[in-house]
Amino acid sequence: MIKDRGFLLIFIFLGAIIGLFLMVPLVQLFINVGPVKLFNTLQEKEVYESIFLTLKTSFYAVLFVCVTGIPLAYLLARYDFWGKSFLESLLDVPVMVPHTAAGIALLVTFQNGEIGDFFKGMGLEFMDTTAGIMIAMMFLSAPFLINGAKEGFRKVDVKYEHMARTLGASRMSTFFSVVLPNARNDILNGALMMWSRGLGEFGAVVIIAYHPMVAPVLIYDRFTNFGLNYSAPVAASMILVSVSVFLAIRFVNNRFR
Amino acid sequence: MLKVENLSVQKGDFSLKKLSFEVEKNSYFVILGKTGSGKTMLLESIAGINKIEGKLFFEQDEMSTFPPEKRGFGFVYQDFVLFPNMSVKENILFAARYKKIEDADALFADIINFLKIEHLLERKITHLSGGEKQRVAMARAIYSRPKLLLLDEPLSAIDPTFRNAIMKSLKEIVKRYDTTIIHVTHNFREASYLADNIAVMMDGKILEQGIANDVLNHPKSIEVAKFLGFKNIFPASMLEDTYKDRVFSVDPNAILFSHTPSHNEYCFRCHIEEVMGISDHYKVFAKIEEHTFFAKVPKHMFNKLALEEDTQCYLCIKRRDAVFI
Repeated sequence: MIKDRGFLLIFIFLGAIIGLFLMVPLVQLFINVGPVKLFNTLQEKEVYESIFLTLKTSFYAVLFVCVTGIPLAYLLARYDFWGKSFLESLLDVPVMVPHTAAGIALLVTFQNGEIGDFFKGMGLEFMDTTAGIMIAMMFLSAPFLINGAKEGFRKVDVKYEHMARTLGASRMSTFFSVVLPNARNDILNGALMMWSRGLGEFGAVVIIAYHPMVAPVLIYDRFTNFGLNYSAPVAASMILVSVSVFLAIRFVNNRFR
Repeated sequence: MLKVENLSVQKGDFSLKKLSFEVEKNSYFVILGKTGSGKTMLLESIAGINKIEGKLFFEQDEMSTFPPEKRGFGFVYQDFVLFPNMSVKENILFAARYKKIEDADALFADIINFLKIEHLLERKITHLSGGEKQRVAMARAIYSRPKLLLLDEPLSAIDPTFRNAIMKSLKEIVKRYDTTIIHVTHNFREASYLADNIAVMMDGKILEQGIANDVLNHPKSIEVAKFLGFKNIFPASMLEDTYKDRVFSVDPNAILFSHTPSHNEYCFRCHIEEVMGISDHYKVFAKIEEHTFFAKVPKHMFNKLALEEDTQCYLCIKRRDAVFI
């Protein structure tokens, strides 16, 4: 045990550096803003509407990927097929590209061209709309949920499915009663990662929809037009709300695990 | 009842090759084979989990293309595969969500009483021991009222002290719940206790099948005999000139040594090559021409005969102890 001491001290010291680096700016932000200013900012209509819009659109993006991405994740986890590795790499591309470039790509696809015309025909426009914000958030954060669900499904032994089916459950019933509940934690973690990644999305959103303003755009707008004193309270409010929601979801999940 | 005709399955490098056998209603059928011989794959194929070539009939209905949920066969895996998101009771009652169980309440009460699991019902499956998991997995499979119950090495994860009691229960299940069991194992003692009929499987093929007693005591091939633990397998022409193409085997405990030949038995002059003392007996390796016999001699007999390495004596086998293969 005595010999371990030096080893532990080095690791604690190194860990503390990055831990403090990650925490201090957030704490400093709250100290600078102060509770009164934070409370007042949260009561501003423009701020709470912007925060609500951010939470809502990111949540819608998560819902859409739950419906479409979870089946894809299951297929990737359970089956080997031609081009699977390529498809998996392709799904990770949005995480790697510059977010402004992703915004341009979305704009080119959904505002102009045949796909854009198709959606316009259905009455769906993406430029400066909530739908535009949602696709921007979804494009850059969907891989978090898909990959999380894929890992979750891989951890569920295929024998559970075989067993459920010998007991009379159909393929679909087996998926909902056995596979999904046992992959729940990974899926929920992936969904939370996607949702929180969506909350912070700025680069792609600002290109496709400056208005209505989501919180990151509002922070940027206030910073460029009015300076730090006006943008910091909005930033602190956004962090407070999103961390609270994040912790609440984790708490509920742990309670009912 | 169950008739399998030329069943073939290919998975990666391994395949089941044209297996054919029949299992009678209300019988206990054991498939015996080494690890990796394809036993689990065969059970999964019968259950409808693997796509097969060939035909599978159950009570005259062809089921070769039926999905598992339409076959009505119960399954118990080696590692039990209890659903971790459900309690013990929910696991047992799982089948009732998807099909109508006849006399469900009475059946449930009877099963938990028979398998002695009443005290476990509200527990999470992560809090069960190996033996408890096995009983819950059996209960879940029986509760689905299977026409055929497929058991994949159900005793391998069980503490040896509980094995006999569980084997007794397994044997009782056939009559009590009016079902038929196919049980795969690598343990031939387990097979000899449980089986009415046995099939011996190796490398994806069934080498021999028949009434348990016949297969276990009179194997028809050297491969099966070796797998079943038969020792001292030598050409039968050593014993009788008429047995030209056959071999015989003799149990090491049935080999007798003497300093004089006996005319009522097969007796050969032998050279004792090696003697190893074990707690209550001696292992003796004796050579007759190019064949080395292995015998187990009780300590008192060994001392009486004063057997020593590098000496000559007679090795005798009673006619009834020679098993011809």
